[in-house]
Parts: sequence; C-alpha cells; structure tokens
Amino acid sequence: MAMRSQIYQYLATADSTSQASIFVGGLGNNITKPAETTATQFVVIEQVASTPSTPITMQSTGVGAFTQIRINTTDYFLNPDNRPNDGVPGTASPYPRSVQFQPSFNLYPDVYVLPGQVWDVLIVVTGRAGAAARPEAFVKYTLYDGPDALIANKLLELGISVSPANVDWYKRSLISAQSAPPAPAMD
Amino acid sequence: MAMRSQIYEWTNLAPSGTGSTLSRNIADTSVAIASGTQVSVFTGGVGYNITKPAETTATQFVVIEDIACSPDDSTNKGGDVQIRINTTDYFQNPDVTQMSGVSGTASPYPRGVDAGSTTNLLKSFDLYPDVYVLPGQVWDVLFTAQNALAQTSTADCVAAFIKYTLYDGPDALIANKLLELGITVNPANVDWYKRTLIEQQAGGMM
Repeated sequence: MAMRSQIYQYLATADSTSQASIFVGGLGNNITKPAETTATQFVVIEQVASTPSTPITMQSTGVGAFTQIRINTTDYFLNPDNRPNDGVPGTASPYPRSVQFQPSFNLYPDVYVLPGQVWDVLIVVTGRAGAAARPEAFVKYTLYDGPDALIANKLLELGISVSPANVDWYKRSLISAQSAPPAPAMD
Repeated sequence: MAMRSQIYEWTNLAPSGTGSTLSRNIADTSVAIASGTQVSVFTGGVGYNITKPAETTATQFVVIEDIACSPDDSTNKGGDVQIRINTTDYFQNPDVTQMSGVSGTASPYPRGVDAGSTTNLLKSFDLYPDVYVLPGQVWDVLFTAQNALAQTSTADCVAAFIKYTLYDGPDALIANKLLELGITVNPANVDWYKRTLIEQQAGGMM
C-alpha cells in the first residue's frame, strides 16, 4: 500500500462567497486537521474540480465554484499579473461531469506536495446566495509513502514525472542493477 | 513550481454601474458590449480584469494551450476569441486580412453547453500546435461579441477561458532551448531535456 490513489469530496452546507478550505474551512464536511505530508510521504495532486455553472445560470439561480490549490502559503493559480486568483472554475473542471459540463481543463503537469509541506484546496462559491443547490468540490491525488516516497523524491531530482508507472520503472531498474553479474576484475 | 498549469476565466460581469472589476462578486451584473467590439479579456475595462497587460519577463515562457468562449446561438449569446502577441493577431483570414478569431461555436465554454434543440455543443477546434509567448513579449486575448450585449441582463452574460502553461526560471531557459532545437515545448519534453543534461553530466564524471 505504498502508492495509493486517494480522493476527497466536499459538500458545502453553508453559504459563503469568500475563500474557504475544503478540509478545515468549517462550511461543509471537514477533516480533523490541515492536510500535510510527513517526512516519509509525497503527494501528487492530479485533479481538482467543482460545481459548474454557465455565466447565465450563475446570474439567475445556479451555484458555481472555483478551486485553488495552496502549498504552505503559496497559491498555485495566478493571474498573468501575478496576483492569486480564485482558481480553476468549476465550469472548466466540472464536478460532477455531465453532458452539459465537460472538462476544458486538465491539471498537467501535476502538483507535487513534498515531504513536510502543508497543502490545502480552497473553494470560492459564486452565484446567488441561498440557492437550493450546494457547491461541491473534488480532489484526486496519489499518496506515496515510505520507500515509494523516497523514490518519488529521486524521480523529482532526476526530472522525471512522479507517477505510479515511473516509480515502478525505477524499482525495476534498481532490481535489474542489483541482479546484474559483477563487473570482471581489472588487472 | 517551475512549470505551472494556469487558467484565466473572463466574464463580462462587474458591480452594477461600473465597467470592470478586479475581483468577482456575487452581485456582479453584465456589462454592455456593442456588437463587433473587440475587448481585451485582461485589461479591456469590461468585466473581470487584471491590473496590467499580460507579459512575460526575461525568465518566463508561456505556452497557450486552449482558448474558448461562449457560443452565439439560439440559446446563448457569445462571440469569438483572438490571440494577440505584441501587435500581431494569431488567427488570420486566408487573404491575410484580420478576423475576430475562433468562434465559441468551434471552441465552446463551457464545453457541452446547451445550445437549444436538445443539442450540447462540443469543440470542433483544438489549439494545436500551441502558441508560444517568448520572454519579454506582451500577449493578450481579445473577445468580440457577435451580437450586442445589454447591461444588467441575465441573458447577456458571456465568458472566455484560456488555459496556458507558465515556464519560469531554469525551465524557461530549457523551453527556449527546445524551441531552438525545433522540439515542441511541453512539460514532458522539458523533463526529457533535464534528464539528458543529468545523464551527460553523470557520463562526464566517470
């Protein structure tokens, strides 16, 4: 269980138009403490998504949302003038996906959370307050633990994307190198 | 964080009585745009804007991977989006005259938007090859309304979407090198170039 595909789903239970953490924001289902990696963990965030809306439905009765990734104190998504923005609109990365709302955005390259870092996903809700629908958010990430986290760090050093396939490839390389016959002695 | 996937979403929504805003608000309403008027989605003074034109520093390299906007059809109001690098428009007519760019019908935002008559619009256009913004260049995305959009009208809200990757610092240098070599600039190729450098260095030390 050293590489694990993980998800987190959030459903807001209270109205808010300011940025709130989906983990510890106090406005929906939450967890007990901020998300962080230990010294032997490495997290790769592969997808963020939230409730979509069209500009028209947002103006009338709908609810939409934006999701921003924060590592320690740094926001990942910035405007071209280098100011942090609200993040990925649910309209571009919808959750749930439907015929009306299909993804325009793919989080590539992935976002790496290195050992010892604190990470968060922040949601901003748009649309009319008091709407019947409640905004949702979704995060998909892979947790590398123990030896696999060390390999993930090594891959990062080598400039290789951290993915389960590449971690397995590195392990196979180590095993092949170990099982290779010793080099002949030189005179 | 030297290669970062970035997005920008523009809407013609701003607080009532103003033309533009730097932050979204739940009470924002539509801003009027005349038919055929081209507005910058960054600094056009209409709807959601940023503080200064988008530009790359000497240590940045931007790759624009997708642009889309609201389609103009029986159900929605929308328009076209054009990319401008410095003073040059990217999309041109075959006779090299100016055009308003990719229509929201070809590259709709949101993808799958209800276009009436039980039709959901999917994209016909893919921005490939990507558009490169080299260090020191100014870039812009311009929205042109196909029909006039009225002020404070729920039905007259439009949006545009841009997806780009920002390469910064050493990765921007590698992006420039890849461009010189005629290799597509993408995260996989930047990583490949880094690995090549590391392998060369390791080989030299033996």
